[in-house]
Amino acid sequence: MSAQVTVSFKNQLGEIERLGQVVTEFAQCQHWSPQVLFEVNVSLEEILTNVISYAYEDDKEHEIVLRLSSADGEITAEVEDEGRPFNPLEVAEPDINKPIEERQVGGLGIYLVRKFMTDLTYERREEKNLLTLKKKIVNER
Amino acid sequence: MEAMESKINGIVVLGLKGKLDTSTAPQLQEKLFASITGGEKQFAIDCAQLEYISSAGLRVLLLAAKQLRNGSGKIVLYALKTHVKEVFDLAGFSAAFPLLNSQAEALLSFKN
Repeated sequence: MSAQVTVSFKNQLGEIERLGQVVTEFAQCQHWSPQVLFEVNVSLEEILTNVISYAYEDDKEHEIVLRLSSADGEITAEVEDEGRPFNPLEVAEPDINKPIEERQVGGLGIYLVRKFMTDLTYERREEKNLLTLKKKIVNER
Repeated sequence: MEAMESKINGIVVLGLKGKLDTSTAPQLQEKLFASITGGEKQFAIDCAQLEYISSAGLRVLLLAAKQLRNGSGKIVLYALKTHVKEVFDLAGFSAAFPLLNSQAEALLSFKN
């Protein structure tokens, strides 16, 4: 069973709630397990939050496009934005073993995405950032 | 997200319900820091009805814990759902925050 949905979001943090609804609806149609839904939801929230918070140098409205698809036991999510070039895969990993006083608050989001998704690729294409997230769901818990 | 606050033996018990994400984390931050500024030092966060947490939620808890450590306060969490606990484990927060099973355990952890 394969399916695809394309949704546009504005660069406003209020859109995160709608993102959750879009992903949940898609997951229900595709019968993802609650755990898979949770992990994809967190991953996409982290990516979109980063784009909305850091990608733009002006205060104008921008469009962020999410293409979510599912086929052959694999979920693919593409996030495309017209913000400044930014490769989230270059973000340094947080040292998760540091004591609380020394823990930094940054970098945790993309760290979770790496844990939850099977594969991440970044491309700068035609003045746009294109991040592709893949998650295998065969033999999922 | 909803946050229900009560006080037991001088410990602020904060029950979280729903999603702690980018859009709701600022509410929790405001609530926690208002209490900390008001002089509260001991917090037990009830996560029994917390369905979702992202790094935005972790960030608020980390900021609050750091603030409390400076004033010799403490924040503990209890009754986390499996997938929420997994986020704490992955982020290495399980070592930084006492994660307990029940309210009784959480309250007891302040005795020492």
